Amino acid sequence: MGEDARAFSDFLDDMALKILMVEPGDLSVVGELLEFTEQLLAASTVATGEQPPLQRMARDFNAALQKIIMGELADSAENFDRLGQCVVQMQEVARREGDAAETALRLFRENLAAAGYEAAPAPDPAPAPESGSEPEPGGEAAAEPGRPAVNLDFLQDKDLLAGFVAESFEHLESIEVNILDLEQHPDDSDIINNIFRTFHTIKGVSGFLNLKKINELAHITENLLDDVRNAKRAMDSDVIDVVLAVGDFLREMVQNVQDVLEKGPEAYVEFDISRYVQRVRAVQSSDGGGGEEVQPAAPVEASVPVAAAALEPSPATPTVAPAAGKAKAGPAMAATTPGGGQAAAPVLRKAGIGDSIKVDVEKLDSLVNAVGELVIMQSLVRQNPLITRLADPKLNRDFSQLGRITTELQRTAMAMRMVPIRQTFQKMTRLVRDLSKKTGKSVDLIMVGEETEIDRNMVDSIYDPLVHMIRNSVDHGVQLPEEREKKGKPGTGNVYLRAYQKGGNIVIEIEDDGDGLNTAKVKKKAVERGLVSEGDALSDHDIQNLIFLPGFSTADKITDVSGRGVGMDVVKKAVEKLRGKVDVNSQDGKGSLFTIRLPLTLAIIDGIIVRIGSERYIIPTIAIQESIRPVKKDYSTVHGKGEALMIRNKLVPIIRLYEIFEVEPTYRDPCEALVVVVESEGVQRALMVDELLGKQEVVIKSLGGFLKDTKGVAGGTILGDGRVGLILDLATLLSTGGGHGTAPVEAEEIF
Amino acid sequence: MEAAEAVRTDSVAGLQSLEGKYLTFALGKEEYGIGILKVREIIGLMEITAVPHTPSYIKGVINLRGRVIPVLDLRLKFGMASEEYTERTCIIVVEVQGESGAIQVGMLVDSVSEVLNVSGQEIEAPPAFGGGADTAYLLGMAKIKGEVKILLDVDRVIGAGELAQFETI
Repeated sequence: MGEDARAFSDFLDDMALKILMVEPGDLSVVGELLEFTEQLLAASTVATGEQPPLQRMARDFNAALQKIIMGELADSAENFDRLGQCVVQMQEVARREGDAAETALRLFRENLAAAGYEAAPAPDPAPAPESGSEPEPGGEAAAEPGRPAVNLDFLQDKDLLAGFVAESFEHLESIEVNILDLEQHPDDSDIINNIFRTFHTIKGVSGFLNLKKINELAHITENLLDDVRNAKRAMDSDVIDVVLAVGDFLREMVQNVQDVLEKGPEAYVEFDISRYVQRVRAVQSSDGGGGEEVQPAAPVEASVPVAAAALEPSPATPTVAPAAGKAKAGPAMAATTPGGGQAAAPVLRKAGIGDSIKVDVEKLDSLVNAVGELVIMQSLVRQNPLITRLADPKLNRDFSQLGRITTELQRTAMAMRMVPIRQTFQKMTRLVRDLSKKTGKSVDLIMVGEETEIDRNMVDSIYDPLVHMIRNSVDHGVQLPEEREKKGKPGTGNVYLRAYQKGGNIVIEIEDDGDGLNTAKVKKKAVERGLVSEGDALSDHDIQNLIFLPGFSTADKITDVSGRGVGMDVVKKAVEKLRGKVDVNSQDGKGSLFTIRLPLTLAIIDGIIVRIGSERYIIPTIAIQESIRPVKKDYSTVHGKGEALMIRNKLVPIIRLYEIFEVEPTYRDPCEALVVVVESEGVQRALMVDELLGKQEVVIKSLGGFLKDTKGVAGGTILGDGRVGLILDLATLLSTGGGHGTAPVEAEEIF
Repeated sequence: MEAAEAVRTDSVAGLQSLEGKYLTFALGKEEYGIGILKVREIIGLMEITAVPHTPSYIKGVINLRGRVIPVLDLRLKFGMASEEYTERTCIIVVEVQGESGAIQVGMLVDSVSEVLNVSGQEIEAPPAFGGGADTAYLLGMAKIKGEVKILLDVDRVIGAGELAQFETI
C-alpha cells in the first residue's frame, strides 16, 4: 500500500509542476498532462484497487483534460486554475486517508463542475462553461468548418522534411533568444540580421518543401523584419510581440509537420494563418517610414492598440489561442542589467557561441568513467608497496606530474558535461515578460551569472521548479505598480535571477523586492493545517521555510493570483531529487530571496566515508548536520525499545546502521561509537557508525541491474582501493528503517 | 496419441535450435553449461561488497573496471549448500536483457571447465522431476561422452523473472 501511494504521489507531484506550465491554448502541455494521468490511471489499476477514490478522480481528471483538448471545454486560465486545484486535491487524498480525503474529494468534484465538466459522462457533447463570464476566445472553439480533404503534397521527401523540422526548431529557438536579446539592445543591427536570416531560411526551405503556410507566414514576417533592418520601421515592442507570436505559431506548425511525419497524415492540422498575416501587416503599416522620428531605443507604446485591434475578430481554432493571451497591451519592459555596458554585451554573446561540436552523451559518459578509473588505478599503482619502497626522487616527481595530468583530465572530462545555465535563464526572460503583461505588473528581470555552468543532466530538471518560483515571485512577490508607489518603491519591480558557484555548489537565487512573506500569516496557516503547534518556538526563518512543507499552500493562498494552489513542496522535492537544497529568506515588506543550492554535477557527490565493522559506506555531505560522540546523559530509550539522543534540546532518534545493513559492528554502545546527525526531507536522525574515515568526492555508479532499487542504498562508488563502497540513500533510510517507533509525528505525515 | 507425437517432434525441433557452443562449469558434482554468447568474461574471485536487504544468494557488488555489477552465488541460488570459496572459484560475467536494456551480472561458480560444442542430437528436454526440482531455469540436458551437462537459461536465472521476484521480497 505504502509503495503504491508513493508512486502515486510522485506522479501527482510531476503533474502539479506540469499544470503550472499550462497556458491557455498551449495544447502540447495539456497533452503531456494527459500522458501523466494515463500513467497514473495505469498505476492505480495495477495497484489492486486499494485507492478507489483516487482512481476515480484520476479518471475524471483525465476525461476533463480530453474534453479540453477536444475543445469541448474552454481552455481558459480559469479552467486550468481549477484543474490545478484538482491536482492539489488529489495530492491531499493521496496523502491522507479517510475523512480528510472525503473533503478533498468533494472539493475536487466542485472544481470539476465549475470547469464545466460533469463527473458522469455527459451525453451533451459540448457543455457550455457554466461560470458565466468567460473572456476566453478559445471557448467557442468549434473546429474549423468542414476540414478539407487533406492533400499532403509536402510528404514526398520524408528525409528532407525531418531535416527541416529539426532545423526549424533550432532556428525558432534562436529567434526567441535573439529577440529577447534585441529587447535589451534595440539598435544592435547584428541581432536584427540574425533574426531576419532565420526567417529567411525557414521561408526558403519551407517553400522548397511545399509547406505553403509556413512559407507564407515566414515570408511576410521576413518582410517586416526587412523594413526594420532598413530602418523603414522602428524596432519597438509591437514588432517584438508579433515576431514572438509568429515564432510560437510557426513552432506549432512545424510540430504538426513532425506529428504528421511520425503518426501519418491523420495527424495533419490545417492551420489558419490569416490572423497572423493580418497582424504582421498591421504592425508593418502602423509606423510606415517613421524611422527618423522615433528613437529606436525608446519603448513605443502608441501603436499597441493597432495590434490589439487586429486581434479582435479571432476566429480561433483552439491551437491559435496563445497569442490572444499574450497580446494584451502592457507596459513595455526591458530585461536588462542597468549598469551592464552596451558595448561589452555583444562581445560576450559572440564569445558564447564559439566553436563547438555535438558529441554523443554516451561517449562522454564512457570518457568520464574511463578517466575515473584512471585516477583510481594511478593511486593503486602509487600505493603499491613495492613502489613506495623505491623512494626514488625522479619517480616521485613523475608521479606527481602524472597526478596533475590526471586531475586536469578529470576536470576537463567533467567540464564537458557542463553547459552554461544561460539558455534556461533566457527562457525565464520570456516568462517574466508574458507574466508581467498578464498581471499588469511592471517587472524587470535582472539576470546575473548566466555563464555559470551546470550539469547538462540537471538543466531539464531545474527548469520546472525555476518556472514555478519565478511565477511565484512575479505573482505573489512583486506588487502592482500603484501599490508599490504607495509604499515608496519604484513602480517597476525587480526580480533578480542569479547563478554562481560557491564551494562545491551551484547556487541559484531568485529574489524579488515585493511584499515578502508575512510570517504571522504563514504561522497561523501552518497551525491551522496542523503542521506546527502554537507553542512551538520558531524563528522567522523557520516559519518562512514552512512554506516548503507538503500540504501547506492550498486553496486560499496568502495572496492568491495564480500559483494554481500548487505548493512550494513540489519545488523542494524537485530540488531534492537533484540532491540540492532550497531555502527562503524574507523580510516583511522588503521582498523574498529563494536560494537553491545544487551539487556541481549529478555524477559526483561529496561524501563522508564511514566505517561500520568491516564495511565502508558513504553518507552524502549535504545531508550531514554534525557528528558527535554521545554522552550517557543525553541518551534515552523509549518503551525500552526506541532510542534517542538529546541533541541541542531536540530528541533525535538513533538508527543503528549495523542492524539495517546486517554487519558486525565494532561498537554496540552508542557512547563508544559515533553518531552522524543527518537531515532529509525535514526528518532528523542520528546514524550510529564506528568511525569516520574521511571526506571524499565520489563518482556515483548505479548498482546495476536489479539491485538499483535496493532500499537505503542510492548507489555505489569505487573507493580508493578499488573496492565498491555503498552510498546511503537517506530519504528511504530515514523514512523506512528509522526510528523503531520513536519516530516523531512528522515522519508519518510525509506520506 | 498422434497429438502427443506432434508435441514431441515440436520440442525436438526446439531442442535443435539449442545447439551451439556452451561454457561449462561445475557446481558441486554437477556440470552446467551456459550459451557462450551470453558470457562476457570470466574473472577470478575478488572482494565483494555486500548489499543490504537482498536475498542471501546475492553476494553483493564488485568493481568490474569501473562498472559496478551485482554478483550472485549460483550454489545458493539453486538451493545447494554453500562452500568455502577456493582458488578455483570464479565469477562468470554474463549479459542479459533487463527491463532497461542489457545488464551485466556476475555468477559465482565452483570452477570453470571448458567450452563445449553441443550438437542437437545430444540435447534432451529437461526431465520432469515432479514436485521437488524446479526446471524453469533449464534449457535442456546435454549428454556428452556419457556425462550429463545441465544447460541453463541464463535469462531466466537472472533475467526479468528474477526482477519480479525481487520486488516481492
